[in-house]
Amino acid sequence: MKTKKLIAIALTVVMTLSIAGCTKKSKESTTTDTTSKKLVIWAWDGTFNVVAAKEAKAIYEKENAGVDVQIVEMAQDDIVQKLNTNLSSNTTEGLPNIVLIEDYRVQNFLTSYPDSFKDMSSKIKAADFMDYKLKSDSSNGKLYGVPFDSGVAALFYRTDLLKQAGYEKSDMENITWEKFIEIGKAVKAKTGKAMLTMDPNDLGILRIMMQSAGQWYVKEDGTTVNLENNEALKEGIKVYKQLMESGIVKQISDWDQFVGAFQKGEVASVPTGCWISSSIIKATDQSGKWAVAAIPKLGAVKSSVNASNIGGASWYVLDKVGDSELASDFLAKTFGTNKDLMNTLADKINLTSTLKASSTTENYQKSVEFYGGQKILQDLSKWTSEIPSVNYGLYTYTIEDILTGTVQSIVKDGADISTALKDAQKQAEAAAIN
Amino acid sequence: MKKIKSSFKYIFLSIVSIISIFPFIWMLISMTNKSVDVSRGSLIPGTYFLENMKNLFNSDLNFSMSLWNSGKIAIISTVLSLVVASFAGYGFEIYRNKVRDRIFNILLLSMMIPFAALMIPLFKMFSTFKFFGLNTMAAVIIPTISTAFLIFFFRQNTKSFPKDILEAGRIDGLNEIQIFTRIYVPTMKSTYAAAAIITFMSSWNNYMWPLIALQSPEKRTVPLIISTMGSSYSPDYGMIMAGIVIATLPTALVFFLMQKHFVAGMLGSVKG
Amino acid sequence: MPISKGLTYKKEAKPMKFLKKSKLSKNYDKFGWLFTIPSIVIIGSFVFYPMIQAFITSLKSGMGNNLRFVGIANYARLFTDNIFQKSVVNTLIYLVVQVPIMILLALFISVLLNDKNLKWKAFFRTAIFLPCVTSLVAYSVIFKSLFSNDGLMNKILLNLHLLNTPIEWITSPFWAKITIIIAITWRWTGYNMIFYLAGLQNIDPSIYEAAKIDGATSVKQFFSITVPLLKPIILFTTVMSTTGTLQLFDEVMNITKGGPGNATTTISQYIYNLSFKYTPNFGYAAAVSYTIVIMIVVLSLIQFKVAGDDK
Repeated sequence: MKTKKLIAIALTVVMTLSIAGCTKKSKESTTTDTTSKKLVIWAWDGTFNVVAAKEAKAIYEKENAGVDVQIVEMAQDDIVQKLNTNLSSNTTEGLPNIVLIEDYRVQNFLTSYPDSFKDMSSKIKAADFMDYKLKSDSSNGKLYGVPFDSGVAALFYRTDLLKQAGYEKSDMENITWEKFIEIGKAVKAKTGKAMLTMDPNDLGILRIMMQSAGQWYVKEDGTTVNLENNEALKEGIKVYKQLMESGIVKQISDWDQFVGAFQKGEVASVPTGCWISSSIIKATDQSGKWAVAAIPKLGAVKSSVNASNIGGASWYVLDKVGDSELASDFLAKTFGTNKDLMNTLADKINLTSTLKASSTTENYQKSVEFYGGQKILQDLSKWTSEIPSVNYGLYTYTIEDILTGTVQSIVKDGADISTALKDAQKQAEAAAIN
Repeated sequence: MKKIKSSFKYIFLSIVSIISIFPFIWMLISMTNKSVDVSRGSLIPGTYFLENMKNLFNSDLNFSMSLWNSGKIAIISTVLSLVVASFAGYGFEIYRNKVRDRIFNILLLSMMIPFAALMIPLFKMFSTFKFFGLNTMAAVIIPTISTAFLIFFFRQNTKSFPKDILEAGRIDGLNEIQIFTRIYVPTMKSTYAAAAIITFMSSWNNYMWPLIALQSPEKRTVPLIISTMGSSYSPDYGMIMAGIVIATLPTALVFFLMQKHFVAGMLGSVKG
Repeated sequence: MPISKGLTYKKEAKPMKFLKKSKLSKNYDKFGWLFTIPSIVIIGSFVFYPMIQAFITSLKSGMGNNLRFVGIANYARLFTDNIFQKSVVNTLIYLVVQVPIMILLALFISVLLNDKNLKWKAFFRTAIFLPCVTSLVAYSVIFKSLFSNDGLMNKILLNLHLLNTPIEWITSPFWAKITIIIAITWRWTGYNMIFYLAGLQNIDPSIYEAAKIDGATSVKQFFSITVPLLKPIILFTTVMSTTGTLQLFDEVMNITKGGPGNATTTISQYIYNLSFKYTPNFGYAAAVSYTIVIMIVVLSLIQFKVAGDDK
């Protein structure tokens, strides 16, 4: 008995020591100190953002010997959560030098933790980037983010199915959502396929519609809730309702079903961000059967244009972590100016960059066989430059969670749009009190 | 009549067992398939097993490191929890007095506090520590080693511990600590085993606190890695399933080995 | 009857021995403290102290670090907060539907397994307990896949012709709740079953013999003998399950993400969203967390009163 207990105590002691030992080791490997020239980058998605970061790393390390860039893949939700917990406790231990943040969320961070991010205004030139990105990436006149990918919305569609329904490519150019529904009904009737998928939990399509008219959940100042009298939102919800009632929608509940639907040929179109392209072209058996048109606009709203955005992110430097000068230099030399990097990424991950110069590079001039020879990067780039600029403000996800309930009540329970939006406005204003 | 009743029993239990095991079987099948097939819900084993394993262990996420991290944390947590909780359970029961009973009841209240409420204050607290601060294994372990549930568990089991033996020990000249280590501990093996299973499982599967407390990627535990793998734009389901199966093995193993003790230990906790 | 001593220890019939000990044990008191202080300190520091901190935070409001004192404004806001109310309703629905089903199911299974003559007992027991060893993240991923619109669940049901059209397990507000309830029940029934099994082994089989001779059916035996004798354990597991369900988070977070349209959101998930998904308002989040604490305490007290115990 005694020996058993002794062994147990010894084990515990050994383990306790090893914890302490781990503490020491960890301190060495994670403190991003200025002497060893190490940079840590956090990004989500191993097939897109992380690949981009790796390319940037390769370029920079070649030019700058002695710099070690470490890229860590982490789920976006986890990154957001860690940034919030750390920054709110004024702790920088373990934070990366550079972090990718989605455009919809950025204002939250820049406003909540004003001193935590590095001002990049002197490192990169705002004029080098597409206009609409500058709004989300700046705060109080200073540019904090290095714009990365364009979430330009586009209408990807199956030319063969549309032809079967009696529509040519020219019929798909610069249409309205109302026309889109009409076309969808014909497609359903003649081919039996749904026109698009929709996820009742995801109001992405409403965001596209709002931004196409230069509107958002909040007004220009970024804090005043704008739901009740938001014409674009109202019209958007009307269209949303029509879509759901038209019988042309295939309902899905998550990302994999979304991708599965068009990869399996179950839908005739995908109106969403350009980043979906890499998933579309994975279905190699459908090569040559796809084309890309401008995103439809809201026919009933005068200010709506055939250009909008959904998603997109930018790179930010955490000012109080390690060598922020080195970090900002890294970004400036790669995503900030390097159009060759953009060229490589256009090929590798189908990136539509928001660096203006990228549209002049080689890969952007290519005709893509999958899309019937269309020079899609050219088109996507052109539409990116037309995206109406909007201040995403502080409450995007808060308001959206409120709105999913509102939209459901309108679509499924037949509630009156104006009344429902009025109620949502009140809810959002209460939630926006900070 | 008896035969019908008896066959009903078997049928019902079989159905329940199948429902319980089915997801595991599906997991095992899925880890041999390509991601696409897994999403399609295929029930046919494929030939992708080695490929999935290769991808899993070669991934940048360093799955093997996370197994090692989880293992270290779980074992240390379990050992420390057993020590602290058994001490407490023994102390509250054998040396009963009104004051300590009241304290015990207050401690029980701690079981009713949702972790969501403690997250941020705990985080802030640990961010101020110089030693055992954030991002250390200690930070992950310390808040978890004293759970009221485990103390309650040990206390309940101690009730059926024959107090006369303690008297005998005292008469023999043993001091209180020796009584604990030489008499109590050996007698309560089943209790310790059951408690070990519960604690190990809870620590191994813990998600939220390690997520918040750990910062460096190389310290991540298994649930964090699985979560990251599952939230990419196009997750490789075959690989994820392989990861989940491997992640479940230690807890399943611990349970299998300690089964008998487990039930005996639970029995002790409900004896009057 | 050994089981009648039950789980309550306060009114235990051991006064004599107790008195005897206290006469000798003025000395032993310090050992009492020695053994219990570590746990008291740890729980005090890492549960109660943060709780007090959280309460102070709940009296503040603001974005991220910019918190300012607002008194009980956060608590007042709870009454007009639509999403909060929905999350409470959802959480209570899970509680009222899932816990009783699971407890009854676990009881029933354990009674069946308690039969001496049952073959393959170990297999059944292990199989039914197995779900408890999976991590919440892991099984959520699995359930999400199995219950998706094109998933295996629907495929099987369609093939067996039990359905004509696939059920929208995750995209329908009604079915999504059912999916969550199925998931939780699958995961935790075995856990409760083990407790009951242990308790059942304490019951003297001669009681059942006597009852059978008196002509009682199995059903009657179940309700008049088994349930009353297991009352303390049932109470214990019910309180634990209630506490667990009121704090429900991982499943909802990973399987339905609270959707569709907040149809499955729970209070814990709302707290998470308030802290991390939206503009972080840690003050309000703290206030919401206190509502869970209050609910748990109130419900537990009610359950104890109803069962006739006082704790």
